[in-house]
Amino acid sequence: MTATSDRSAAEERFRPVFAHLGAVAAYARRRGSRDADAVAAEVMTIAWRRLSDVPQDDPRPWLYATARNLVRADARRSARVAAHGAEGPGDLAAPPEMPELDPALADALRSLSRLDREALLLVAWEDLTPTQAARSLGINATAFRVRLLRARRRLRARLGNASNMGSHDETTNLDLETT
Amino acid sequence: MSDSIIVRLRRANPVPVADTAPAAELFARITALPGDSRLGASERPRRRHRRAIVLAFVVLAAVVLASTALAISHWLGGELVKSPVTKQEYIAAQKQLTLPPGYSWPTFRFPPDAENSVTTRGAGGGHAVMAAQWSWECYWADAIRTHDAAAAARAHAALNALLAHDTYEAPAGAPEDWTPTPLPTQPFMVFAHDGGLEWTRAGYRLAAAGDATRIAQSCRANVPG
Repeated sequence: MTATSDRSAAEERFRPVFAHLGAVAAYARRRGSRDADAVAAEVMTIAWRRLSDVPQDDPRPWLYATARNLVRADARRSARVAAHGAEGPGDLAAPPEMPELDPALADALRSLSRLDREALLLVAWEDLTPTQAARSLGINATAFRVRLLRARRRLRARLGNASNMGSHDETTNLDLETT
Repeated sequence: MSDSIIVRLRRANPVPVADTAPAAELFARITALPGDSRLGASERPRRRHRRAIVLAFVVLAAVVLASTALAISHWLGGELVKSPVTKQEYIAAQKQLTLPPGYSWPTFRFPPDAENSVTTRGAGGGHAVMAAQWSWECYWADAIRTHDAAAAARAHAALNALLAHDTYEAPAGAPEDWTPTPLPTQPFMVFAHDGGLEWTRAGYRLAAAGDATRIAQSCRANVPG
């Protein structure tokens, strides 16, 4: 096999991965990245360079895990730079925040552990199944389901009683345990 | 299962729809970069696979016979060391390397099973060199962004020095754990012979010309601490 055909085979393999660019940018934006498009481009660059590590059948968990690491690394770096006064006060960096959320929900989410919060958001915002979300977090699916259940309970407790959550009729059936 | 919490979260999604705009130019730019060399390897003839499998069995048998990692270390003339040595190397290297202002050495964390594992001698120093490299890249990217020419020059010089004195490139076809012989006295890191070192140098040339894209990417991906 020639180098050229190797490359075009790799490009064909990369194309369906790259199709998730928008989803990865949205993920980064939802996690408070200040430069979500750059993070998404970086995730795709890493995916290209490590294409054999990217699951072909379902690349999203891998892509989100990579994006998560980049967003967190960026936040740590920004926090450190801000702490050393290398940037003006306008650039003071905070850890990733939940942008544009109602304050009660944002506070409740922030009160959860990082892993609990991410478990909830992968399912609610990224539309991953528990199995996919577990893969993205590097834990097994059973452990993920337990964590998700606890995270939901904790968030519910933080938000107060069920009347604050809207009527039962407004809810949707989410068959989280069978996926 | 009805779950009002998940429903409420879904409704509150701050970016409900992913932007699916085509990005053909980005695709072309990314695929113009060196790809995953392991993909080509998977296309090689089966005979080489068989040889690799035989080799893997030989290595496995050697490991089993050695029974302990320490025994392997003795066999190989002490080139494999246990985690306390690696940690010590990391600490010693910090005295020989410098970090940019405002940066500190990241904590060296071993995995929980580190007591039972060994690594190549010099790996601790290599870890320190990489931490220094990434720190200087971050510092340089910030300097370019803030138009701080003096800081940029300092970063450029520091990274050039790291590449000149503390960086080796493994020969083509060398094993993954290749180390230079005799073992350098200064801390060192080793690049595989896959174009990675040239890629890094090219990034520094771009940064010296004022384009921080690549070092900023490296910083973002590898930021220490």
